[in-house]
Amino acid sequence: MADASIEFKGTSFTLSVLHIKTAELANIRADLVKKVSQAPDFFYLVPIVVNIEQLDCSIDYQAVKSLIEELKFTFVGFTGAVGNEQRKLIRELGFSFVNTSKIEHSQKNPQEQQALVKEPQAITASPEKHLFTDKIHRGQIRSGQQIYAKAQNLVVIGSVSAGAEVIADGNIHIYGSLRGRAIAGAQGHDKAQIYCQNLEAELVSINGNYWLSESMEQHWGSPAFINLTDSELSSAKLI
Amino acid sequence: MARIIVVTSGKGGVGKTTSSAAIGLGLALKGHKVVLIDFDIGLRNLDLIMGCERRVVYDFVNVINGEATLNQALIKDKRVSSLSILPASQTRDKDALNKENVGKVLEELGKSYDFIVCDSPAGIEAGAMMALYYADEAVVTTNPEVSSVRDSDRILGMLASRSRRAELGLEPIKEHLLLTRYSPKRVEEGEMLSVEDVEDILSIPLLGVIPESQAVLKASNAGEPVILDTESDAGKAYQDVIDRLLGETVDFRFLVAEKKGIFSRMFGG
Repeated sequence: MADASIEFKGTSFTLSVLHIKTAELANIRADLVKKVSQAPDFFYLVPIVVNIEQLDCSIDYQAVKSLIEELKFTFVGFTGAVGNEQRKLIRELGFSFVNTSKIEHSQKNPQEQQALVKEPQAITASPEKHLFTDKIHRGQIRSGQQIYAKAQNLVVIGSVSAGAEVIADGNIHIYGSLRGRAIAGAQGHDKAQIYCQNLEAELVSINGNYWLSESMEQHWGSPAFINLTDSELSSAKLI
Repeated sequence: MARIIVVTSGKGGVGKTTSSAAIGLGLALKGHKVVLIDFDIGLRNLDLIMGCERRVVYDFVNVINGEATLNQALIKDKRVSSLSILPASQTRDKDALNKENVGKVLEELGKSYDFIVCDSPAGIEAGAMMALYYADEAVVTTNPEVSSVRDSDRILGMLASRSRRAELGLEPIKEHLLLTRYSPKRVEEGEMLSVEDVEDILSIPLLGVIPESQAVLKASNAGEPVILDTESDAGKAYQDVIDRLLGETVDFRFLVAEKKGIFSRMFGG
């Protein structure tokens, strides 16, 4: 039987996380008051998760919650890479323990952190991650020439002539005129963008959506960038 | 070492042979030893423009095939002794040339000449590739209209990728833009691309602007390269081209339409 009146769905939010580095509540209070006084409106009723992983000793969780609420934050729960016993204790006190999806915040284990730093380099070639390196071409790309930056962004220091074609799996930056064809996000990447200092292209395409020159009238002959918004190409003035 | 200059364009009929003849003769008139080679095998024209068509016995293909020596095939110009012409074959086609043998001929010529001017056929096929392969410099002949400019752009791409210098990773071919059949009046009327437009699209240094001139056709039919017509605008403009090729800085002329004053109208100046 379906619940017509309610529905549960998982959604990601950005929450403010307060990292506490000491169990001395008086110090925490003093620093918090100082912080809030700098921008009272900004902090008013802001949901707060308290990260306790940098604490070496236990703390009065109830007192922390009271302090947070007293300063007009909305207390959500605790988080941090702590042992199971501590989690259990927190739950028994009636507070929620929030698990972060990423463990990047972990500062306890430097080895683990190093591994995390290495990871993005290893996956730069994967289009899914869109962490492309740059292929840099110096000089003009002439009519009949074709340049493909596979799993890379393409940077052209020069113009792209009519009848020339530049293709990249990532973004395309042209420090010159774009008079030929530019195809960005060629392997399927709808966040890819095309930048040029003078838009006079025959064709621009992002992730399979394309424009012929007649669609570029608005920014024709001026510095422009082109991106994909809701599967529709749009252009904007660059400077 | 001789400077090997290819006169090329991609598009046909823009003035490659006229320019080759003018440049070859102009350099020779300055006292340099020059050989002009017609690479347009099957469509031999350079000998006509140079006025030596009746003196062709052996040609470039004969030399390539070892049927004649270079000295037998080279025609000495009657006007300037330091200029020779190596004519193309009219009966063969462009496949008659091959890189290795062309290289040998150029090397041999390089020993006794200061400049080797190669008149390229139109197109981007084997013949044109052969003409530009060994070049040190290229004079890209362009008319101020869009199709010619695009074809020149294509040839510039070839120069940068298909030449010997490109293949060996040497210093790239030095590119020069030669704008021919330029009519300032039509530029002002918006019918023709301006020098600035063409420079902007091709972005290579400008070597010369040759104005559209009746003198060019007259010179071609007479077999007297237009550079010899020192009274004509085109002749003067080619003279400037020679000076620039030899490293001098010369102001560009004939870029604005002449305003006819009352006196020139009255006296038909």
